[in-house]
Amino acid sequence: MLPFPPIFYNPPDYKEAFGLFDRVGDSKVAYDQVADIMRALGQNPTNKTVIKILGAPTAEEMANKRLDFEGFLPMLQTVVNDPQKGSFDDYVEGLRVFDKEGNGTVMGAELRIVLQTLGEKMKEVEVDALLQGQEDENGCINYEAFVKHIMSV
Amino acid sequence: MDCRNKQRPQPQDEDIMDIRLDDPEANKAAAKIQASFRGHMTRKKMKDDKPREEKQRERK
Repeated sequence: MLPFPPIFYNPPDYKEAFGLFDRVGDSKVAYDQVADIMRALGQNPTNKTVIKILGAPTAEEMANKRLDFEGFLPMLQTVVNDPQKGSFDDYVEGLRVFDKEGNGTVMGAELRIVLQTLGEKMKEVEVDALLQGQEDENGCINYEAFVKHIMSV
Repeated sequence: MDCRNKQRPQPQDEDIMDIRLDDPEANKAAAKIQASFRGHMTRKKMKDDKPREEKQRERK
């Protein structure tokens, strides 16, 4: 049973969301759109997970191979059922690593570097958009509040 | 030319706040958090774009 995602509230809307991504009009989407559709439907897959679910496609396949809704649904289900799915606690603990003073905050500047250097590196523009308005006057971020904010949408 | 220096690879010994760049656990934790951030930003963008999308569909 798929969970109710934050933006589309009924299971029939999964198909509607899928349809929003069809820019060609063939009731399909390109492989390189699959990650974003899953995100739109409330999931947070890593890019690595999506690549694996898509069967390790080539760059050409990512751009040109197309997937219909019936093919997409089991992929979404895999992500929904992933036992390694991130939780609020996972995210908070992940950020706590950078809480040098153990006071519930991380330096925005340090978080920016981490996000651009480790894991699935983010671009500077992405990080700027993400952290806009999140730092206090000392450039610090209360990461529990930040994670709550992230998970609210 | 000193061939010994040429053959020696650059050591990946840089740290980010006491975390090695090649630390698998740190990278795994980072990827998980980044995934939640990317999810959030996609949903936020769709929320902001949705009224425009609906208006576009109504015009058709």
